Amino acid sequence: MSGVPAARERPAPTVVAGVVERLARDYGARASTNASVREQHGHGEGLADAALPDVVVFPHTNEEVAAIVRLCNAARVPVIAFGIGTSLEGHVAALYGGVSLDLSQMNRVLEINADDLDCRVQAGVSREQLNAELKGTGLFFPIDPGANATIGGMTATRASGTNAVRYGTMRENVLGLTVVTADGRIVRTGGRARKSSAGYDLTRLFVGQEGTLAIITEIQLRLYGVPEAISAAVGQFPDLRSAVQTVIVAMQHGIPVARIELLDELQMRACIAYSKLAGYEARPTLLFEFHGTAAAVKEQAEMMAAIAADHGGGAFRFATAAEDRSQLWKARHNAWYAALALRPGAMGFSTDACVPISRLADCVLETREDVERSGLVCPIVGHVGDGNFHLLVLFDPNDGEERARAEALAQRVSLRAIRMGGTCTGEHGVGIHKLDALVAEHGDDAVDVMRTIKRALDPNDILNPGKTVPPERRGQA
Amino acid sequence: MLPPSVHAQLAAILPGEALLTAPEATRPYECDGLTLFRELPAAVALPDTEAQVVAILRACHAARVPVVARGAGTGLSGGAMPHKDGVVLSLAKFRRILAIDPLARTAVVQPGVRNLAISEAAAAHNLYYAPDPSSQIACTIAGNVAENAGGVHCLKYGLTVHNVRRVRGVTIEGEVVEFGNEALDAPGYDLLALINGSEGLLAVITEITVKLTPKPQFAQVALAAFATIEAAGEAVGKVIAEGIIPGGLELMDQAATRAVEQFVHANYPLDAAAILLVESDGTPEEVSAEMADIKRVLTDSGATEIRVSKDEAQRLLFWSGRKAAFPAAGRISPDYYCIDGTIPRKALSGVLHKIAEWSAEYGLRVANVFHAGDGNLHPLILYDANVPGEADKTIAFGDRILDLCIEVGGTVTGEHGVGVEKLRGACNQFAPAELERFLGIKRAFDPHALLNPGKAVPTLARCAEFGRMHVHGGELKHAELPRY
Repeated sequence: MSGVPAARERPAPTVVAGVVERLARDYGARASTNASVREQHGHGEGLADAALPDVVVFPHTNEEVAAIVRLCNAARVPVIAFGIGTSLEGHVAALYGGVSLDLSQMNRVLEINADDLDCRVQAGVSREQLNAELKGTGLFFPIDPGANATIGGMTATRASGTNAVRYGTMRENVLGLTVVTADGRIVRTGGRARKSSAGYDLTRLFVGQEGTLAIITEIQLRLYGVPEAISAAVGQFPDLRSAVQTVIVAMQHGIPVARIELLDELQMRACIAYSKLAGYEARPTLLFEFHGTAAAVKEQAEMMAAIAADHGGGAFRFATAAEDRSQLWKARHNAWYAALALRPGAMGFSTDACVPISRLADCVLETREDVERSGLVCPIVGHVGDGNFHLLVLFDPNDGEERARAEALAQRVSLRAIRMGGTCTGEHGVGIHKLDALVAEHGDDAVDVMRTIKRALDPNDILNPGKTVPPERRGQA
Repeated sequence: MLPPSVHAQLAAILPGEALLTAPEATRPYECDGLTLFRELPAAVALPDTEAQVVAILRACHAARVPVVARGAGTGLSGGAMPHKDGVVLSLAKFRRILAIDPLARTAVVQPGVRNLAISEAAAAHNLYYAPDPSSQIACTIAGNVAENAGGVHCLKYGLTVHNVRRVRGVTIEGEVVEFGNEALDAPGYDLLALINGSEGLLAVITEITVKLTPKPQFAQVALAAFATIEAAGEAVGKVIAEGIIPGGLELMDQAATRAVEQFVHANYPLDAAAILLVESDGTPEEVSAEMADIKRVLTDSGATEIRVSKDEAQRLLFWSGRKAAFPAAGRISPDYYCIDGTIPRKALSGVLHKIAEWSAEYGLRVANVFHAGDGNLHPLILYDANVPGEADKTIAFGDRILDLCIEVGGTVTGEHGVGVEKLRGACNQFAPAELERFLGIKRAFDPHALLNPGKAVPTLARCAEFGRMHVHGGELKHAELPRY
């Protein structure tokens, strides 16, 4: 993992103290310097590399966010947007101290336009909260990264998840934004119109910028009709290759599967033990979910079963009842904890390679061999329908040599994906951990363009400094 | 005229027949599909390698000569209109499809490949390229990317931006850069989205990877007639509100159906005030279930007649009038002006009502033919440029429609781009803070504003001319910005 870039420095303690004092005066108890609050805001769910902010502030309105950003911009003090802290790549670590802007109290669903299939929410609304408020409208928001992240955080990291193969990522589902720019102005981008070819696409530029170009405060989202019928199926395979080939052939046939998840033998063993799944074997497994009319769902499932059988998959088990489905998906959502339980005391992190589906088999199988050579314990899970898979790399935190081996393995996974025309991060984002891989993937010239955009929109480098785009070319820093 | 030193450099880069400077040779490049605006360029360059593109851009950058990239010249907003002191950089010779990956469902193509040529090449794998602007037989894929082009299928399958995975381009400084990649997502800022719809202001595109879509096994179209255009507009909203996303959802009013019927003989119900064409595609089972829902919603919305295509020939016949609408408008009126405003679907009925009211007020006929499903209006204002004052009246009418689109929460252009045509509209649509962000991005790519100057993004000075920019106490914000 790359070290902390050195371009920026911490602001002087007196300057920070001035900002803290001003925030305390303006926001009272909503500005906290309490050690445990700061500690909680210094890291996400990835590797522990906590870096504490000097103060955490909880704004309630766009205007308050704008005022805080203006204050920080004038003092050149970093501002780090914080949702719920589920990011995996160190996105929220306050590398240079400063203000953690916790948007969790901006959690209102502002409007639901059932006729236009869209809604507008504040950044702190969580994914589960939104779907709970949509109950009764016949609509839902499909993007599901697993964690109950905030919509603001999902937008900032361009999250996707288990059903991107059918519904796309945040990129396809954000229609417009309200953001606060580095100079503290409130800008509304995009709109309710379904298409526009006017002006540069600021909305998509701000989707995935990880809080480095602007603070996202409101999001206009696309919604979908709750499918008439949903069914889930499980297929188990003799080996990893047949499971992956099944996915590739299904995609080739254009079966509109809503989700396909791959669990390798090791992950399946972990899930059976952790989630008490009865009747499954520890073999490479695919979980499918089909959405549509009753007829369409049945047809898709039958086609899928036939393809799986061609690849040596055993009989499909179907789960049409909601409880059976949720047991399966709960097991998938808990895959991370199940994997950690494989090696008590171990820590873990996840790789995020994503390749064109035609290279998926090569990439997964080479990675599997690489894991075997490394001697590490690393189960594989993946939203393989869109070419994205995760290696959950477990290591002993007290063994420096093993941690180095784990990091080297992860680095090789990233480079392998890039070599195959893919990416080192399909959905988790860059944060601080993938800065080197970003350059490996895009080349210095394209990263230079990103740097100039960063400078154009945040000349004082106050917005989440040190993340997403390495500040200088290597060797120039 | 080009500075002689630049001319000499370009002549050294390109073979003689690939550098045009004589007015009779550059005349065909004086405008694009928006013929209202014309300009002869200083030169037209027709490179056929990326290395030549790099060399041309470096030479122009060094001498501060403007460059306007051009595809097939089918754009409708003047985006490819030349600059009088500049070079038109035509990508017409880049016509090769470099690779098709049927498993990953992608095609790697050169910028001058025609939109339809991609679908033709992919047909062998039972795939196609979904966005289908009406000009798809002629327009190039790089032009589609530059304008973020749409089409009938975009409602279900997304715009150009949703169907492009990777773009390789050259900056004005001659750096070759790649945006996006072949996989689902790429880390860092979404520069790929910035390039889509950038109207040639950020980079010259030299290679594109597009997403291909499996051809649906089966498709059917329902033709529904309505007694009022407002009722048809409301039916559109109801179809979508039911959670049905048709493969195409188009509206034609009576002026349009009557104009096309005499050419295509589609047997449209000519007494209806408006018709909707609603397509369903998928497996036969999916289509039959969805068609039943569509018919139910249309009936509930007051359709006076519904016909569902019985076979492929009839499906194509139903669509033939829609595809022929623009040429047909040209046959019933000496001139027409096509508007591209896009609005939230909810506002359709009200906006259509207003357009009808203003049509009477201005004494100008309007034919409405448009992508109703995504709220993308294309009112065709019919006029005669030879009648004194009629062109001005047409522009005033069009501006009023666009202002209304912004007022109801829409945009001045759904798929044609801003170009030179809608700069005034863009000043109204975007607040100064947003325009400043645009200009910041432009400067990051092209600090001397050499790529397609004067298009797409109005300068703040331009907006001040239109009375939109607020100059406080005589202080001009961002005095350092180029204003021309």
